[in-house]
Amino acid sequence: MAPAASQTAPEAPPSANTCALATWLVPGAGHFMLGDRRTALIGFLLIQGLYLAGVMLSDGMFLQVLPPEMRGRFAGALTPEAGNLGALLLQGRQVGFGDGVPRPFPDGLHLGMMLTSAAGILNLLLAARAHFDARARSGAVIEGAARHPGTCVLLGWLVPGSGHLMQGRVARGLVAFVLVVGLFALGTMLAEGTNLDRTRHFYYWAGQTFLGPIVFGAELANGHPMMTERPEYADAGVMLASIAGMLNVMLLLDVYGFSDAKLFGRPLFTEGSRGGAKEAAR
Amino acid sequence: MNDLGLHVGLFLLVIAVVVAVSCMFTEADDARALRLFPRRYATFVVVSAVVIVVMLVAEHTFASVS
Repeated sequence: MAPAASQTAPEAPPSANTCALATWLVPGAGHFMLGDRRTALIGFLLIQGLYLAGVMLSDGMFLQVLPPEMRGRFAGALTPEAGNLGALLLQGRQVGFGDGVPRPFPDGLHLGMMLTSAAGILNLLLAARAHFDARARSGAVIEGAARHPGTCVLLGWLVPGSGHLMQGRVARGLVAFVLVVGLFALGTMLAEGTNLDRTRHFYYWAGQTFLGPIVFGAELANGHPMMTERPEYADAGVMLASIAGMLNVMLLLDVYGFSDAKLFGRPLFTEGSRGGAKEAAR
Repeated sequence: MNDLGLHVGLFLLVIAVVVAVSCMFTEADDARALRLFPRRYATFVVVSAVVIVVMLVAEHTFASVS
């Protein structure tokens, strides 16, 4: 029997990609579209609050830290702040590289830049959470099979390896912590702390922020050293510290993929299973 | 060249971390990831050595000022 003409088709839920992209532009927008107003509000207030506090502390001058020859249209694209795209675009439009008149940096510049970069990374993690939550709407999720990937990834950023610990992968979590934090410590030692300064190494500093608050703590404790001569292994140290942050991104992807596969009841994507698939295909 | 040993040691240490994390990324099972490590590490070292030799030959051939 054909449906009555007065009946309207149920509204299709937003796709996971749409939710993630909306969150990228406006924190919490993806969850708002999913009807999860509580997460949307908390995410928006926390992330934009951090960003606003950072902008106020740094007078919005984080892009003015770049030397003139590096100031281009896409200079902000490789910064952690790009994770909070809407706010970054707004700041770029309002303040950007300044009005051309050099001004002294405020006292709160470094702390402010830590807050804005943390807001960007947290928004990326919220977007990943929104992507999972949108897919979970299908009802195919196995309740209790694993912790929420968004929570595990957030923990993995706050303390490297702790996302694995939360998933019950204790040995992997401990090894992950020792590897990436050890590499960061080695880099910092070689660079004699010069890596802990965004005004010195704008983009390398961005890489190491993916290691989480540990980096900010190290910077607050030992950052911005006054040097009379260049450390012999400064370049190597700066690079290693940045690589440590990027390696933590791989570990976060591992954490996300593990929870995601468990909750959707999919086999884990491993070399072993790929090898098995190849053998089966022969 | 005086620091050659230090440079090589640092390189071997750093790539150990990079290879270990890549093993963890590609293999969800801890035991399998551990078994992957030696082969990947050796491959990384050998390929890096080949690249170094090629660079040294190219430098010696085309960029030497002596």
